Amino acid sequence: MSKKVLIADDTEFFRTALKDILSGAGYNVVGEAANGAEALDMAAALKPDLVILDVVMPVKNGLEAAKAISALNLPLKIVMCTSLGYEPIVEEAIRSGASGYIIKPLSESKVLNTLNSII
Amino acid sequence: MDVSKYKALYLQETGEHLSGIEAGLLSLEQNPGDSSVLDNLFRHYHSIKGMSASMGYEPMMRLAHAEEDLLDKLRSGALANSEAITSVLLKCLDTKKSLAERVRADEPLDIDVSSLLESLRAAASGQAARTAPFPAAAPVTGEQGLKLSSVMKVEGRLFDEVLAMVGDLFMTLSSFKTLTHGSRSIEFKNGVHQLGKTVNGLHDTIIFARMLLLEDLAAGLPRLVRDLAKETGKEVSLTTEGMDISLDRTILEGLGSPLVHIIRNAVDDGIEPADERKKAGKPLPATINIKAITRKDRVVIEVSDDGKGIDREKLKAKALTRGISAGKIENMPDSELLKLICLPGLSTAEAVTSISGRGVGMDVVKDAVESFGGSLEIESKRYLGTKIIMEMPRTSSITKALLVETSGEQFLLPISRIEKVIELETKELEAGFYEYAGTEIPVVSLAAALGIKEEPRPRRTLIVLDVKGTYGSAGKTLAGLVVDDFSDEIDAYVKPLLPPISKLREASGITVLGDGRPVFLLDVPQIISKALKGAKIS
Repeated sequence: MSKKVLIADDTEFFRTALKDILSGAGYNVVGEAANGAEALDMAAALKPDLVILDVVMPVKNGLEAAKAISALNLPLKIVMCTSLGYEPIVEEAIRSGASGYIIKPLSESKVLNTLNSII
Repeated sequence: MDVSKYKALYLQETGEHLSGIEAGLLSLEQNPGDSSVLDNLFRHYHSIKGMSASMGYEPMMRLAHAEEDLLDKLRSGALANSEAITSVLLKCLDTKKSLAERVRADEPLDIDVSSLLESLRAAASGQAARTAPFPAAAPVTGEQGLKLSSVMKVEGRLFDEVLAMVGDLFMTLSSFKTLTHGSRSIEFKNGVHQLGKTVNGLHDTIIFARMLLLEDLAAGLPRLVRDLAKETGKEVSLTTEGMDISLDRTILEGLGSPLVHIIRNAVDDGIEPADERKKAGKPLPATINIKAITRKDRVVIEVSDDGKGIDREKLKAKALTRGISAGKIENMPDSELLKLICLPGLSTAEAVTSISGRGVGMDVVKDAVESFGGSLEIESKRYLGTKIIMEMPRTSSITKALLVETSGEQFLLPISRIEKVIELETKELEAGFYEYAGTEIPVVSLAAALGIKEEPRPRRTLIVLDVKGTYGSAGKTLAGLVVDDFSDEIDAYVKPLLPPISKLREASGITVLGDGRPVFLLDVPQIISKALKGAKIS
């Protein structure tokens, strides 16, 4: 069965690009969240295998969302997605439960290599 | 990753972020330390940076990156916000808008951003505050500053074509309607009736689809006012009312330049410097108010300022130098006198500045408003302010009009201006006045106004017209126009006059009747004022 993925990014641009890459590689994108709070709700409701979290998001940022989703104790992996310059935040996210990270700009190989190494 | 397929999405979201940045920066000027505004701005820059990096739009990415750094320092409190910083960011915003336009047009992004990057870095390291204030962005012109969404522009062209085709359909329909008069076939008459309903429905739908909110145009105005105020060193705030009124895209677009000119004149000529206002006990900042209201199928847009008003004596002196005779000027009603500012080259500004130039502007405004069948009024109170009132249709092209005839020629009069149609004996009209609704209204002959020879006939038709349209704070100005006869009320698809016949001031457009005959739509204020002038001379 294909892995279920939840994407959280405040730009439709990145949600669409990520979804295209993931769908093309056989992942099942079950939800798209536009902020960290939505991501938390959708992670609890949709029970995805994987959550990709952008770091800079309104309402609840990616780090806060990563901490909150980890606290749900669900069988899922979290991958942070961000631009260069946010390494300290990514490190903190990994200490709080995230399994890996993708640095923007996105490329198909970068995204898929990271996910394959985690799942 | 093939990024070309994400271009439309990139442009759409970047456009939204750029609007968000503009609004954010302007609100930051009012509340420099507002942390939620700073957070939002940071995210806008961050998103543009990420998307631009993925698309490979390097100058955009580098700008957004440097701006993001600057915003990060502002929101963390490491750097205090200043007017100089906002000015740098606004300047960068303009460049990002140009870059986005180039992306849209598939043009190379060869804009040099290095000096902007330098300014941003200097600002981020706290140096900008010590340097001279950054020059404000160049005054925004109508073409650059008040642009509507270009996505709509693409679709808009399509709508223009469809609307033109609907216009042709209306003409075909009216020839069919003429044919039904001589036909006994019920099926044919029913068919034409149904066709008429469908064409009308199609027309209404397209007109609706072409409507855009005034808000779309007004969104660019706060920035314009801000830049003009900075340039002149005045304190001005902008308020708006009724921006949820929608207008046809073409009319809205045509309003861009007039609005910029009016606001420019208000800030530059009308509004006094802060110390002068303080002395006079007037509030600071000064206010420019844009108010829109609807009147049936027309809209009235008023731009008022609380500045010093128009100086009649100066205006008269200027008019004299333009060769208008002293006697004429003294006898002019105030409303006519104020309209002199619409003559090309007539400005009362004491100094020629880079903003208001040499009084070009108001003539452009008047021409633009009249070109879409509207009219302009000016009210001004010395020391209290000036109000420019533009009245115009909300939609273009299909006008309900009455077909009238005089000396064998046919003309159209817009129904919106007609108060009443009365058939009378010719001798009742000879006095030059007619008693209507308790007052005497002037009566003029259409044939005389147009210089056509009038055939004698026992009865004629008097059409009572509302000369200024549905607006006028002093009440309606009525006048009677004498024609030989009138016939149908028609839905006329009116096309604007093109050169050389655009010089015909008595007509505001032309339409082709069902049988192929071209007919002019008469410009009511022009006809009446011309005829009244003629009457005074004789």
